[in-house]
Amino acid sequence: MKKPAFFLGFALLMATAVTAQPQTGSVLIKNATVLTVTNGTLENTDVLVRDGKIARIGQGLSAPGGVEVVDATGKYVMPGIIDAHAHIALSAVNEATDPVTAMVTMEDVVNPYHIGIYRALAGGVTTSHLMHGSANVIGGQNETIKHRWGYTNPDDLRFEGAPRTIKFALGENPTRVHGNRGGGSGKAKVPATRMGVEAVLRDAFEQGLRYKEAWERYEAERRRNPRAVPPPYDLRLETLADILRGDILVHCHSYRADEILMLLRVLKDYGIEKVTFQHANEAFKVAPELAAFGAYASVFSDWWSYKFEVYYSTAYNAAILTRNGVVTSVNSDSGELNRHLYHEAAKSQRYGGLTDDEALALITINPARQLGIDDRVGSIEVGKDADLVVFDGHPLSVYAIPVMTFVDGVRYFDRERDPDDIRLHVDPEAAVDASRFVTDEDWHALEATAGWLFQF
Amino acid sequence: MIASHCLVTRSNAGRLLAVLVPALLLGVVPVRAQEAGDDLPRVTRTHAITNARIVQAPGRVIERGTVVIHDGLIVAVGTDVEIPFDAERLPGDSLVVYAGFLDGLSHVGIPKPKADQNRERPDDPGNPPDDYAGIQPQQDARTMLEPGDKSVKDLRAAGFGAALTVPHGRMLPGSGALVLLHGDDPDAMVLRGDVALFAQFQGALGVYPATPMGVMAKMRQLYREAERRRLIQQRYDTDPAGLERPPYDDVHYAFFPVIEGKKPVLFYTDEALETYRALRLQRDLGFPLMLAGLKQSFDQIDALKEAGVPLFLTLDLPKEPKKEAKAKQDSVEAEMAAQYDPTLRTATYRDLEAERRNLEARQRESRERYLKNAAMLHEAGLRFGFSTMDVKPADIHKNLRLMIEHGLPEDAALAALTTDAAALLGVSAMLGTVEPGKIANLVVTTKPYFDKDAKIRYVFVDGVKYEYDTKEKKEASGKEHPTEPSSPER
Repeated sequence: MKKPAFFLGFALLMATAVTAQPQTGSVLIKNATVLTVTNGTLENTDVLVRDGKIARIGQGLSAPGGVEVVDATGKYVMPGIIDAHAHIALSAVNEATDPVTAMVTMEDVVNPYHIGIYRALAGGVTTSHLMHGSANVIGGQNETIKHRWGYTNPDDLRFEGAPRTIKFALGENPTRVHGNRGGGSGKAKVPATRMGVEAVLRDAFEQGLRYKEAWERYEAERRRNPRAVPPPYDLRLETLADILRGDILVHCHSYRADEILMLLRVLKDYGIEKVTFQHANEAFKVAPELAAFGAYASVFSDWWSYKFEVYYSTAYNAAILTRNGVVTSVNSDSGELNRHLYHEAAKSQRYGGLTDDEALALITINPARQLGIDDRVGSIEVGKDADLVVFDGHPLSVYAIPVMTFVDGVRYFDRERDPDDIRLHVDPEAAVDASRFVTDEDWHALEATAGWLFQF
Repeated sequence: MIASHCLVTRSNAGRLLAVLVPALLLGVVPVRAQEAGDDLPRVTRTHAITNARIVQAPGRVIERGTVVIHDGLIVAVGTDVEIPFDAERLPGDSLVVYAGFLDGLSHVGIPKPKADQNRERPDDPGNPPDDYAGIQPQQDARTMLEPGDKSVKDLRAAGFGAALTVPHGRMLPGSGALVLLHGDDPDAMVLRGDVALFAQFQGALGVYPATPMGVMAKMRQLYREAERRRLIQQRYDTDPAGLERPPYDDVHYAFFPVIEGKKPVLFYTDEALETYRALRLQRDLGFPLMLAGLKQSFDQIDALKEAGVPLFLTLDLPKEPKKEAKAKQDSVEAEMAAQYDPTLRTATYRDLEAERRNLEARQRESRERYLKNAAMLHEAGLRFGFSTMDVKPADIHKNLRLMIEHGLPEDAALAALTTDAAALLGVSAMLGTVEPGKIANLVVTTKPYFDKDAKIRYVFVDGVKYEYDTKEKKEASGKEHPTEPSSPER
């Protein structure tokens, strides 16, 4: 059987996948309009990638021997899109059994076989922040991945060196899951109200603080007394202590302005400085307060009214926040939306009149800053990771289509070579249904309005 | 059965036969009631299989030899062997003798506990009682054995003489025991207890840990806290003066031998992702590890090589595709060449048939990878045994043949059933070969075992003979006759 070269390359890639570090690539992209995001737009410019890093940006660059040249005349190159809120590529989303589940981590349930990764690549997304669901006030820790499609070992998708982050959730979801629990799955407990959410947060931090102090006392005593007894180990409290130490960035599911201010007060009381408000539909009401705190916001461009707490919303949210100096991103929270985040960024521009760079920053450098990876990705600069997307038109145009997506200089998506069946694993027994359009995977990630997320 | 006969069409009658015939031949169709006359003493505990082909170990064959069994042990093997006067002589002409097979992981001999429907849900799902959450590492398979359980009889009829059996449950069901598939009472089955701490990524229902990430976190919590408790316990044991009494609980204490490296954690992993998770836990916590299941290990050969832990591959294989989806060519490769277009791009509504053809061909290819799994492990130089955890005993012979058809050498298959399994379980001195001094676990077949129409004639477990009817009969018989009752002194 004649296999196209692409598939041979693909097979090779898969064969080498587990043996070593993920592959990096070299490529010269010629003659493109380069949207650097941080240094403006460069016409007729070449980008040289060597071993996964951006080596040179300029005109008339020549390819070193063996380096492939991509002619991007008439095309646009932008940094790989970063989705600051995703639930693709996961085997589980919510450990919804307790209001505080800081001990679990999405790192343990990354699913590299999930087709959502390839679909995201087809939409120019190269990095996703895989988040725990919003069932708990303090949910699990999140995981930042690169979309290295074809690798099956979860370790190979990890964004090396990305800071730890954790999911918090305020408002209706945690109060519904825990406060209104009944009918055979345990008794209702705090929080049943927004007051309760704050109480759970403060209680958790107090416990974390005490845990941290107990271990510090032990470490000090150990030096004097070799028979000192270590305090009980508690992974949940240890994680909370790490938040208090500033080792974990907080990403908080939130909608209403009052609860956003509440969390700012709580964080201030416990000396926690880094926070990104996720969804944050009413963040525009408290934009100056967010800016003063140094808090970030990661919002939908125009998704609202799917439950009571999200009726007071506006498509000007991202623009108002940006103009008030809040580092803002637009995210997907969905395996569907993340395939056209460039449209989502364009909507914020359409409503709020952001500049091109401001609009593109919503899906590149700003989410990178929120995830603590802006030294590596989020803009086209020499020395940064070669996570790049080539568009056939300006990415903020509704007509634009991503044609190639690179991660670490490796081309993982190419519209020219995009067969129907790109799955890494095929169930050997399940019924083959050729006419099915919608799969479970499409429903894997919605914000959690879907009741099944909380069924247990 | 009669009623259903009229529903059997020509086409599916064939399929029915395909399933039933090997089952009949191997005599593994459900066996009738338990052996009678348990109170009678045995006539003899000495047997001699004469003039048989003896496969002592993979590649070590005595063409016409005799095996003598006495008091539960193999006492002589060879061509020039004196047969004791009290031996029951079993003419082995045309029969083949193998070491009894070993099962690396199953629940054999442990009845599945009935679900307690009336049990009330805990008030706090975030902090449920350990047993409700499936955290019962203090349980011991030895206390749950029932030699009369049907599973013992069925697995024995498939040629197995010993198994590592583990309790049923969820995340941490308890410790496994290496048992012989025979015994007058539960204790008599036990060859070695406390062999491994059984674990699986089975979350609890509606309580913590409910998800795989919860299971991972709970495992880290239990292990690290157990490490701490062991430390203070040791300190207390050395000199209790001035120290608060260490907290005791049987859950954490069950981890002590694991922390000391004396007992491995045996993780059952289904898909590749679970295997990665088990390896990750091992890397984080540093416990000795054994893996079983591994049905998708073709995707992670290198990771398994690097881990270098004992492996017990499931004997389960994906079912054959439905008739309409079956390959029309001789081989899946030919089929793929003829039908599969890896570059196909079609809008489903324009060419549904092309898409269906492609998807079905791809699925057949996927199944092939599962069938080649054992061969790939072997080619990679990995030593493994088998697990019967999710396979019906009646399918074992068929599935082994499929693995062999897909590249697993017969000797490697036999090694996985006998010598390698014994080595991985640390019982090579007792089991795994047909050699004097070993426990008399044997399988005697009418033809080389991996032949299509091979039938099992005798199985010896601990020197006790089980005989199987190998005549082809219409009705399901395959009766098991232990010709002697079990000895009362045991």
